[in-house]
Amino acid sequence: MDELDILKKDWQKEDSRYPKLSYNDIYKMILKKSSSIVKWIFIISILEFVFWTVISFALKDADFNKKFESYNAENIMIPFMVLGYLILAYFLYKFFMNYRTISVTDNAKLLMENILKTRRTVKLYVAFNLIYLVVSAFLVLGIEFNRDETMIATIDKASANGELFKFYAITILATALVLALCIGLFLVFYYLIYGLLLKRLNNNYKELKKLEV
Amino acid sequence: MTKELEHSFVELLEKHQNIVHKVCRIYTNNQDAHNDLFQEIAIQLWKAYPEFRGDSKFSTWMYRVGLNTAITLYRKSKRSIDTQDYEVVQFKLTNEPYDDTEEQQLKLLYKAVHQLNDIEKALVFLYLEDKNYNEISETLGITEVNARVKMNRVKTKLKTILNP
Repeated sequence: MDELDILKKDWQKEDSRYPKLSYNDIYKMILKKSSSIVKWIFIISILEFVFWTVISFALKDADFNKKFESYNAENIMIPFMVLGYLILAYFLYKFFMNYRTISVTDNAKLLMENILKTRRTVKLYVAFNLIYLVVSAFLVLGIEFNRDETMIATIDKASANGELFKFYAITILATALVLALCIGLFLVFYYLIYGLLLKRLNNNYKELKKLEV
Repeated sequence: MTKELEHSFVELLEKHQNIVHKVCRIYTNNQDAHNDLFQEIAIQLWKAYPEFRGDSKFSTWMYRVGLNTAITLYRKSKRSIDTQDYEVVQFKLTNEPYDDTEEQQLKLLYKAVHQLNDIEKALVFLYLEDKNYNEISETLGITEVNARVKMNRVKTKLKTILNP
């Protein structure tokens, strides 16, 4: 008789060792709120969508943008913004569709896959926003090089001193550095939030996947 | 309608509550954590109850939701930090004739099971509940062959834990 069979004998012996909850105890329980990770992922994801939408609106109203309007660069910026909203709509649609497929009555592996799929959609949305941020920053920089009067004057001055290359290199490098710092901060933030939240799920999913090999 | 549904659900869960207690026993180490997990499973069962068609047995359906909650959805609370209280309480509650050797052996066995990972615990749990490999594979979403292979590995692992 192996160890598990000894345990099985004891396990099936009798049930009186467990507390007996009454109808009222159970009734009270089902009125309480769940604290499942799916709920947390849902809340955090919605916050992410809200965060990036607020950021884009805030930037639109900023003084900087008013100045930007004088450059007459709408033909570039408006399609860029419309594209941003279309992509947001697509991600929201995808997110809700994925979320609806999560069912606790699926088998364990499928349930984990559906949760990870929902999470991946939001991850892609965040990646999209970071790329969007980088592209718009360089787009803005490009437009400023050509349209901003102060910038043009500085470029002319640098050109006269024979330091044109140095000027471009420093400006582009500084922009890239600020962006890299922002992205780095975001990544640390996401790594912490999702890393902690999904550590257990990821481990269990890997364990199930490992069985397939 | 909701009241009726609530009533029928609570009655069913009250009747089959031991399944949930057993899931909690495998996945938690103390009474507080046990109660915490029990509550989360009860909530998940209730949320999924409208989907319960009655074409499978309520108890079979509970195994799946219970394990899914324990393995996937449940966030361990701070209270689930290891303590040994639980084991002691459990053993004091049994009304079996006192047998020190057997009790010691069982105590070690339960302790060893607690050292397994979540998936291994699920396999052990379903095995203890006398589920066949077909049911085990369907609950976890793996093939029957893989379930057997994994089960054998778990048995070996338990032996190693018990006889290092």
